[in-house]
Amino acid sequence: MSILKDLQKEMENKPSGVFCPDFYRCKGYEKSKSKSPSMMRADGIYALFTEPEPYIYKNDLIVGSIKPYFVSLNEDETENIKSFMSKYPERGFFQNGDHFAPDYFTAVEKGIPGLLKSIDESVISHSDDNKKIDFLKSMQKTLIALSDKLKSYAEKAEALRETEGYDNKRLLKIKNNCLSLINSVPQTFEEALQLVWMIHICFVSEGRYAMALGRIDKYLYPLYKHDIDNGIIDEAYAEELLSNVFAKICERRYTGGDDVVNICIGGVDEEGNCSVNELSYRVLHAVRDVNMPGPNLSARITHDCPDTFLDECLKVIGTGLGYPALMNDEVNMEALSRKGYDIKDVRNYCMVGCIENFIAGKQPPWVDGRFDPIRYLLDIFNDNDGIKLDSISSMDEFISIYKNNLSAGAEDYVKRTRAASYVSDPQNRTSPFLSCFCDCCIERGLDINMGGSKYPSVHGAVLMGIGTVSDCLSAIEKCVFVEKSTTLSYIKQAIKKNFEGCEELRQTLISAPKYGNNDYFADKYGVWYTNTLSDMFDQYKTNDGGAYYTAMAANISNIDAGKSLSATPDGRLAGKPLSDAASPTYGCDTRGVTSTLLSLSKPDYTRCACGTVVNQKFSPDAFKDGKRDKLLQLIRVYFSRGGQEIQINSTSRQVLKDAMENPEKYPSLVVRVSGFSAIYVTLSKDVQEDILSRTQQTI
Amino acid sequence: MSDLNVSCIQRFSTGDGPGIRTTVFLKGCNLKCPWCHNPENISPIPQMLEYKYANKIVSYGKIMSTEQIVSDIMEDIEFYRAGNGGVTISGGEPMLQYEGVAELSKQLHNNGVSVIIDTAGSVPWDNFAAVFDHTDIFYYDYKTASENDCKNVCGGDKSLILSNLNKLIIKGKNVHVRIPLIPGFNMGETDCENISDDLLSAKVKYVDLLPFHRLGSAKYEALNLEYAYKNTPPSNVDTVTYIKRIYSKYFIVNVE
Repeated sequence: MSILKDLQKEMENKPSGVFCPDFYRCKGYEKSKSKSPSMMRADGIYALFTEPEPYIYKNDLIVGSIKPYFVSLNEDETENIKSFMSKYPERGFFQNGDHFAPDYFTAVEKGIPGLLKSIDESVISHSDDNKKIDFLKSMQKTLIALSDKLKSYAEKAEALRETEGYDNKRLLKIKNNCLSLINSVPQTFEEALQLVWMIHICFVSEGRYAMALGRIDKYLYPLYKHDIDNGIIDEAYAEELLSNVFAKICERRYTGGDDVVNICIGGVDEEGNCSVNELSYRVLHAVRDVNMPGPNLSARITHDCPDTFLDECLKVIGTGLGYPALMNDEVNMEALSRKGYDIKDVRNYCMVGCIENFIAGKQPPWVDGRFDPIRYLLDIFNDNDGIKLDSISSMDEFISIYKNNLSAGAEDYVKRTRAASYVSDPQNRTSPFLSCFCDCCIERGLDINMGGSKYPSVHGAVLMGIGTVSDCLSAIEKCVFVEKSTTLSYIKQAIKKNFEGCEELRQTLISAPKYGNNDYFADKYGVWYTNTLSDMFDQYKTNDGGAYYTAMAANISNIDAGKSLSATPDGRLAGKPLSDAASPTYGCDTRGVTSTLLSLSKPDYTRCACGTVVNQKFSPDAFKDGKRDKLLQLIRVYFSRGGQEIQINSTSRQVLKDAMENPEKYPSLVVRVSGFSAIYVTLSKDVQEDILSRTQQTI
Repeated sequence: MSDLNVSCIQRFSTGDGPGIRTTVFLKGCNLKCPWCHNPENISPIPQMLEYKYANKIVSYGKIMSTEQIVSDIMEDIEFYRAGNGGVTISGGEPMLQYEGVAELSKQLHNNGVSVIIDTAGSVPWDNFAAVFDHTDIFYYDYKTASENDCKNVCGGDKSLILSNLNKLIIKGKNVHVRIPLIPGFNMGETDCENISDDLLSAKVKYVDLLPFHRLGSAKYEALNLEYAYKNTPPSNVDTVTYIKRIYSKYFIVNVE
């Protein structure tokens, strides 16, 4: 682990200058004599990949850094580059520009020479189509750029020999790996990893974010196994190589924020059998050792995956890292199967970004947006006067009005998002390099976003506030239609006044059943919400005919969305956060985690092809040997009942310390010590210290 | 059908036995151990605890029928079955409500749920006889070997506690003796040796040591009670290791 630590230490030195890959790219455009937009783009990419001087860390085993893209520029120079590059616009997130899992299976299997050969073959088969030949040539040029970039790293490694602080043996290895990749398919695990990482760095230099590494324990496994069996590497060295790569994902923070590079382990093979292997464990350990956000690890958990694998995942989570996110493989695969993909492709899915299910290297980059159903619930109160509201005579009638609002809202959302992803000049925004790593682009001679990819683009409609909506509907049913203790017009007045002077009504609404307590009265609305909204979005198609997926994974945007909303009929005050992702409203699931999970397993998540997120926190004590099996059982039951995802956090010492200083922020933080559980903030300072000192022992 | 005086029902209890368990805390205790971490379960009368910061008022104490309790517990059946989980009946002193406990345990057994009773044992043997058939494991507190301390500090009858323990073991019951390690009360070498003598005489094989913690102090505050152990820090690892070594001479020891 010492190489990793030394590398991370080296990485503490932030490069000077500004991150400006376009400084190099625009040189390529300037020099380009090409006429076609794609070839010009390829010339830009060639300069982008090959012009900067490579950077090799003293502790690099696998090379490829974004450091060379930091250039010292003054404001005028930056402005000039920007204005020059505006003639060559790129696709942004909403136009399927990034959040993509490249087809590393083919890249590793064929290597650069193999990909170039495929391009040559395609050129022959499309010999009567100049447009396609032009695009294929542009792809070819970018692969040559990749190849030349590897060459320049090899030369750099050679040049650095005998330099103080560098290890000659390692430099020689780097040089040989890079040179070998130019002329042949990867022969070793180390070479394959080098190839994948260099491709990834190229994507980053292109300005792409959230580019996934995908199923690394699958596409690197044959070479891993070969190398282990033949004594070429051992397990420790394999972990060292992986952590050497994962650590460099964190270079992104030089540019201001972390990247979200999804790495997927576990899952099934082509035949559907559990495919957890030794490399899955190596990846887990490497992510644990790096111990930083950036590598976003996801574990596909099948019902028959070994307990030892799930337990190892829990151990890593228990370090305080919070990764991997645990995915219910059966639910995700069924959700994707509903969208009509080939079963082999479904079985080979991975995630991009945080949790978004993705058919790796077979569809254009991911796009999503936020859909806020609570707005449409509030519209019922805003659009109707008191008399009209009170003429609503049953919960069924109320729901049917709400459904109409949602339906109109969904239609509007689709219109807006389709418009946002529409590109009027796709031929001027091609992605020749990206297209090299997407199935069918080479074969068809088409850009990834112009019919090259095997499947069309999809859009994820991220549904906000399942907890808040369920709680609102439960309160309305209970108080207005069952107990008749209030009326819709009273609720209208109260939420308008943010419940000022209406505290009694607010308490009545709050006391209605809440989503997340295994109470059918409230939980049925979570089920309704999922089915109704998924039905609505199922009707729509993206611009190129792909599906609209639904998700419940709104990260932290529940906080912002809540800020702009008035009070709601569940008793929530204006401006307060909505419920988070697929979770119940914070603090409203009071019967314990088993009840919460029983509730949360009621919606049919096979309707949510994008994915859902459920966050659960446990104190570090829960991750100790002899206790972890309980978490494991909890997850097994949740998944067997159809839960889709669970993200477990070990309450870190940092949180416990913060809670001592700011108790009001943590009203329901529970700590457990030897069978005793207590609400942390109710404890006196010295007792809190007792707990802190215990956590120190376990971490 | 019987009723029970329930303090609270806690799901996913991780320290009250194997697997995922639901713990039913019963209200009312015949002891008065000054270190008790569940002071709200001592009096049989319903009580409200107001926790500052958590902005929470929690009421403890509610009469529930065994049917009600069972239906509540059975919601989590899949979780119990995922491992060797089940239900732990704790308190307070659950053996005071032995009739209701016997009924509850029987119903749980009929539903295929295993039952642990967590007791301090200072009750007539007949109470144990009543619950015997439908209890899988007894968690049995043993706090002191001294008749006087037991009587004066805890308000218990040591001879009764020891003889009940002995009978349970002789009758082949699975018993886990649990010794709370209380600073200044039972942590001296002589204390440990004396307790060991008692336990050996009762043919005990397994012992759990529960190191002292003062997490219950917030509850004392909320109950407006003075907690005698408020300023007692938890024992350090070395002390616990030292004590574990003594007990390990005679028993198979687990530190919780």
